[in-house]
Amino acid sequence: MAAPMELSCWGGDWGLPSLHPESLTVMAYARFSGAPLTVNTVNNSWRAPKGDLPVLVSEDIVISQPAKILNFLRKQKYNADYHLSAKQGADTLAYIALLEEKLLPALLHTFWIEAENYCSVTKPWFASKIAFPLSLYLPGKMSREALNRILLTKGGPPLYSLTEVEAQIYRDAKECLNLLSKRLGTSQFFFGDTPTTLDAFVFGFLAPIYKVCFPRVQLQEHLKQLPNLCRFCDDILTCYFRLTVSGHAPAGQDTADANLQKLTQLVTKESNLIEKMDDNLRKSPQHPPRKLTTLKLAAGGEESNPMSRLSP
Amino acid sequence: AAEPWPENAALYQQLKEEQILLSDNASSLAVQAFLQMCNLPIRVICRPNAEYMSPSGKVPFIHVGNQVVSELGPIVQFVKAKGHSLSDGLDEVQKAEMKAYMELVNNMLLTAELYLQWCDDVTVEEITHPRYGSPYPWPLNRILSYQKQWEVRRKMKAIGWAGKTLEQVLEDVDQCCHALSQRLGTQPYFFNKQPTELDALVFGHLFTILTTQLITDELSEKVKNYSNLTAFCRRIEQQYFEGHEKDSSTIAARSSKRSLLR
Repeated sequence: MAAPMELSCWGGDWGLPSLHPESLTVMAYARFSGAPLTVNTVNNSWRAPKGDLPVLVSEDIVISQPAKILNFLRKQKYNADYHLSAKQGADTLAYIALLEEKLLPALLHTFWIEAENYCSVTKPWFASKIAFPLSLYLPGKMSREALNRILLTKGGPPLYSLTEVEAQIYRDAKECLNLLSKRLGTSQFFFGDTPTTLDAFVFGFLAPIYKVCFPRVQLQEHLKQLPNLCRFCDDILTCYFRLTVSGHAPAGQDTADANLQKLTQLVTKESNLIEKMDDNLRKSPQHPPRKLTTLKLAAGGEESNPMSRLSP
Repeated sequence: AAEPWPENAALYQQLKEEQILLSDNASSLAVQAFLQMCNLPIRVICRPNAEYMSPSGKVPFIHVGNQVVSELGPIVQFVKAKGHSLSDGLDEVQKAEMKAYMELVNNMLLTAELYLQWCDDVTVEEITHPRYGSPYPWPLNRILSYQKQWEVRRKMKAIGWAGKTLEQVLEDVDQCCHALSQRLGTQPYFFNKQPTELDALVFGHLFTILTTQLITDELSEKVKNYSNLTAFCRRIEQQYFEGHEKDSSTIAARSSKRSLLR
């Protein structure tokens, strides 16, 4: 239990600790169960991205898939599910299967296959996190794998073209979101008041859809119509990830903060200048009052005081 | 969709004795159970080229009136459009649960069956290749079965199952059966009094696993560990298949690779 555990995974943006659904699931579970993980986000290092993140390293053991990582954490006594009944455990497994079958293809499509999303958001973001030569190859490879997976699992007849497959997977995904929303209802987490494995998986899949700003967002719009799921994601982010959110401020907020700082600096500089000017004006104030008095005297009796004007 | 169910509705699958494989048999039995539960009569017709006749390439498919529908999901919707449904009495949360459990069975049990048939070399050599191509002459039988094997292996690789060992696959089956057993508990059906399409699906897969003889008995042992699941299968078999099973009692030949649960 005392062995230090290190998790390597993709980093985050747009308010999320990670953009990758599986990495997010593992991070969320670690937070729920209180496991002390040091999280290494992948950025510009050669060693890490072998394409198979997230990876947990603990002493000599290396584990790579989320289900196996969660099993390992449970064996180390970091169990978020101990209060669940056996039936609820069975439900967990069933809902995870539902997520993988119905929601994951659409998620992969939105990230990796939809041309506008891929070219303007996904590829640049991932490429910026990987070291140079690999960054030209790895995003393309991940995109091809995603397309392959979708076509092989969903693309058989009677769906003969990619557009038909896309229509089907988005229909399935919307239905899945509706089912999740009905199952969640008004409770805070899926099984009562404490989060469990299922909450980690649902959060891992929903949060990227909810937060990442894509040009083509039909799934996000559908999700936003299900307010209890949005509230669920926001709750987990604020309660369990608040340290990460303030520590790794995402790019959007960063620039806003920087702008704000510059603005306040300018304002303070200006107000300083104004104060200085004020001081200057007060320090060399003799001229205006004397001018006024001489004017008055002049106005009063010009011919009587020609001398006084000449000797201020 | 408003027409009544015709008398000559037919379900097509591959040849029962020589050709059909574990996963296809499971799917076919699931559909038959579902239709029995809805009280809709159907004849089972065995054709060697059933897979090619099917609109989606998968068996079984049903031919009703002048429509052809394949696979359990679309068949359930088609039957619902005709006015028969088993899951109307469920509320929204229960329907969500039912769909989730059906995905679990498809995701784990069906994939495990496919893995065992097509990715485990011993089973492939001794059972799958001979059975799959049996109606065709050489070399067509070898070509067709290699083609199918390549296709299934590609799919396994895409979803990440290609790297699993047989023990891991059996572990997954065990986990799935454990979940199903927990959910069933002591109830007669998954959603208490009435059977639903989930019961049909689970019955199809578990019954086939229990009654098909493979190289080893490990797969059926995993299911037999859960007594409420075996009791569930027996109950559905007795209730819905008593009349139809009489022809399978005449099968005694070992070469048919089938043993009965009696």
